[in-house]
Amino acid sequence: MHDTTVLVIVIATALAFDFTNGFHDTANVVATSISTRAVSPRLAIGLASALNFVGAFLSLKVAAVVGKGIVAPASVTLTIVFGGLVGAICWNLATWYFGLPSSSSHALIGGVVGAAFAAHGADAVLSEGLLGKVVVPALIAPILAFAVAGAAILVVYRIVGRLRPGPAKRGFRLGQLATGGLLALAHGTNDAQKTMGIMTLALIASGNLSAAASTPDWVKVTAAAAIALGTYSGGWRIIKTMGSRIIKMDAAQGFSAQSAGAAVILTASHFGYPLSTTHVISGGVMGAGAARRLSAVRWGVAGNIAVAWLLTLPAAAVVGAAVYEVTELFGGGAAGPIIVSAAGLVVIALILMRRLQTTSGAAAAAAAVPAAE
Amino acid sequence: MIATIVDWGALLKVIWVSLAGGIGLAVAYSFVVLGVARAGDERRRERPVPAVAYGLLAVIGLAACAFALVRGYQFVVEK
Repeated sequence: MHDTTVLVIVIATALAFDFTNGFHDTANVVATSISTRAVSPRLAIGLASALNFVGAFLSLKVAAVVGKGIVAPASVTLTIVFGGLVGAICWNLATWYFGLPSSSSHALIGGVVGAAFAAHGADAVLSEGLLGKVVVPALIAPILAFAVAGAAILVVYRIVGRLRPGPAKRGFRLGQLATGGLLALAHGTNDAQKTMGIMTLALIASGNLSAAASTPDWVKVTAAAAIALGTYSGGWRIIKTMGSRIIKMDAAQGFSAQSAGAAVILTASHFGYPLSTTHVISGGVMGAGAARRLSAVRWGVAGNIAVAWLLTLPAAAVVGAAVYEVTELFGGGAAGPIIVSAAGLVVIALILMRRLQTTSGAAAAAAAVPAAE
Repeated sequence: MIATIVDWGALLKVIWVSLAGGIGLAVAYSFVVLGVARAGDERRRERPVPAVAYGLLAVIGLAACAFALVRGYQFVVEK
């Protein structure tokens, strides 16, 4: 009974993480298209959401279970996965609030590492895996995307530099539809599969699925739907940062950033080299801006983003560890996860209520101004 | 330590294929934009030979882009 309750909570939390993943990473797919006005915001988000949903079904191999090669497999329990998920959700919401693009996958890995560390000590964390699969790729992804997008935009300007602005702008806006679509498909495949992996792991760990069984259809459908819904909700704060606060981009720069991003992400996943979508697209956007003029990039914003990347693993790990410790305070049963989930729901409800009050207050003030005039 | 942890072979492949793919797609699509725009200009000037040549450039660029997108889609599906 306890196991079933914890399993239900872990699956619900995994879907909540999947939702925040879609919502947080919408910017990776749509920000450049929206900021160059290649498509309207609503259409861009609708398309990205649909392609994320489709992308989740394209590759039926479940992505490597999160934490594989990073934490000792025997040490992973449902409570550790729960702690990791809560740590990742908290970090995703915090970075969304400040409009900072950061990696949802790194947040999840950080959360699981923190919870495993709290449960079993340093022996549960495989430092070589952490360095080789997370830290080194995190350094390489933005630099590589920066270089590819920078080189691409220089060549593009060389080829179309003498064209009238109108046809060039229209042409590259059209091209962004294709590269944006490819990015959305790749994102759906990569990220929805991570949640499917976690849900499958939870089902196996609780004895509800044999280790040899394939991912159940309801897991695929719910994970795909959660990431698509999250994408459709749109993390506008991050879209604004990615689309217009790092650089003011033209359609050719948007196209170069997207094609560089798609090339790097797809190549890396093809050769089994894990790179963060967020790091790649952010690096691509900065490269497309810096190649034209170094001062075109707002380095202060870029610096804030880099700090968020550095903090992702430790911050999510601290929350993951804290959540694990709190759940353990109530014993090994379902009480801990239930209390933490209930507390989380109360906090979210309070934030939403405060937001509604602020919005209605602002609307009332806006309505009062013309009346006063 | 890092030398043994990082899969340098895979990393080098990622670097050169990404560079080739990203720059290649941008170049191919730039030729599509250039070809379409110039073909239109030449047609308006009633110069059919350059118009056809630019049109051909656009078609070749489009074929290269279609190839790149199909390969990208295959990378998504096959991984």
